Amino acid sequence: MKPFSVSPRARRALLSGITLSVAYLFLLGPILFVALASFDYGQRAYVVFPPQHFTLAAYNHIPSRYFTALWFSIKLALACTALACLVGVPAALGLVRAKLPKKSLLLALMRMPLQIPGVVVGLAFLQTYYAIGSATGWYAVGTFWGLVIAHTFAATPFVIGTLVAVLQRFDDTLEEAALVLGASAWGTFTQVTLPVLKPALFTGALYAFMVSFTDVPMGVFLTAPGKMTFPVEIFNAMQFDFDPTILAASTLVTVLSLAAVLVVQRIVGLDVFVKTAGAD
Amino acid sequence: MKARWGLLLLPAMFVSLALLGISQSVFLAGSLHRDLGAGLLGKSWTLYNYAQFISDSYYLETLELSVAVSVMATALTMLLAFPVAYIIARMQSRWSLVLLATTVVSSFVSIVVKVLGLILIFSANGPFNKLLMSLGVVSEPVTIVGSLTGVVLGLMHYSLGFAVLLFYSVVITVPRSLEDAAEIMGASRIGVFRQVILPLCLPGIVAGALVIFNVSMGGFTSTALIGAGKVLTIPLVIERTMLLENGYGSAAAVAALLLATVLVINVVSVATVSRMRRGLIL
Repeated sequence: MKPFSVSPRARRALLSGITLSVAYLFLLGPILFVALASFDYGQRAYVVFPPQHFTLAAYNHIPSRYFTALWFSIKLALACTALACLVGVPAALGLVRAKLPKKSLLLALMRMPLQIPGVVVGLAFLQTYYAIGSATGWYAVGTFWGLVIAHTFAATPFVIGTLVAVLQRFDDTLEEAALVLGASAWGTFTQVTLPVLKPALFTGALYAFMVSFTDVPMGVFLTAPGKMTFPVEIFNAMQFDFDPTILAASTLVTVLSLAAVLVVQRIVGLDVFVKTAGAD
Repeated sequence: MKARWGLLLLPAMFVSLALLGISQSVFLAGSLHRDLGAGLLGKSWTLYNYAQFISDSYYLETLELSVAVSVMATALTMLLAFPVAYIIARMQSRWSLVLLATTVVSSFVSIVVKVLGLILIFSANGPFNKLLMSLGVVSEPVTIVGSLTGVVLGLMHYSLGFAVLLFYSVVITVPRSLEDAAEIMGASRIGVFRQVILPLCLPGIVAGALVIFNVSMGGFTSTALIGAGKVLTIPLVIERTMLLENGYGSAAAVAALLLATVLVINVVSVATVSRMRRGLIL
């Protein structure tokens, strides 16, 4: 080492700092840029940087169809979350606790939707709905429940995954103690098991909500005019008629999403996220 | 008590497996019938759609493009994500938690919003090109939106967050003391990386690479928007064939091939990693 060169320690710190800056600028820059650009409203089809003015005009001009789509997406994501938990919670409990042959194969099958690309899920459900429609006369394409079913299919593995991860580390003696001390099976479940599972349940539910709320590929196949989800509405607008109001609408939704994450974080803490996000 | 858990599992399992089985078998069956136009399928079973895929250079070029784009995105994502994960894992301050939390939270932002931001930043008159031009690196704006580079950037952006979290969970399992020991024994930084970190993290790195590759192969939203219709990968061809050309059978065949690719890679990944962990490879 030459005497006048920087110490290897300092060089490493500098290199680390640069790497982190590049990565997080790339990761967060686009999100921040959309928010920044949304305050610079002009009658043009592109964005000027740096912003020329600061105005809320774009927010006042958000077309009502975005709000309609947003409300539709929220209802859809809530229904999807409820169903994913309804299927995922018993499935996870059963998969970890029941004595079954071929349990790992079963778990792999239940988690399979994670591997299937969204486009394939969209196409598969579209063709399934056509097949059911031509047999029964009821077409699920472009309906609320048609979307709910496909989204639930894609979201359930997230609930199962987060719960299985926690259940495998669960201390059975807690439940045994409750039972020995005279608690009923139901009482043990609601007062011992459920509280321990709560963080994982909230995390899984949040993932399920977001799978539905941010989905584009399934929605492209399964939405119809009047039954549009918010991301598909933005997706179409970006492809066919860019308008500065989509910046405002997007920023609004980003703030809403972050608020939802913050609420869940208040309830369960962030370390559960880090643990379960890394697991998949 | 024990028996009831099995009972509990039954309805949930039935619903999950029914959705999986029905949806996948319907489209796989669809792929085995010829398109008659206007969304009608022929009655007879045939491998025509698959033969078409192999013989038609359009499909083969699409596949080649998808693989190329996914390989590039995977390599670049890993080159950025692994060092980031490593730095965070070795950080001895509260900042590590802040960075991890930021990564997780950013993954909850809708992909259309992120892609919108990417397009604005990398457009011809966006800040990225302005910066390059003011630094004198280029004299003309670089075309990123509507090009292969843009598509790779979009896929990278999609994978970076979960790749960092994934590699973080891998690096954190390697005790820091091992590195210190190697360094005390006189190993250089590169030596430590090649002989300590890399071998211990390799199963996780391989698994992570294959996950990123799979996600990239299936990437739709960012490719459709940043590619601006000029870069057609497999997922885009599936969408176009199905929705614009009503080619139910041929779209289903392409989807089946994409699904098969993704599943095979996944099985290979699981098998390789478990063999590595048992020390059968390397």
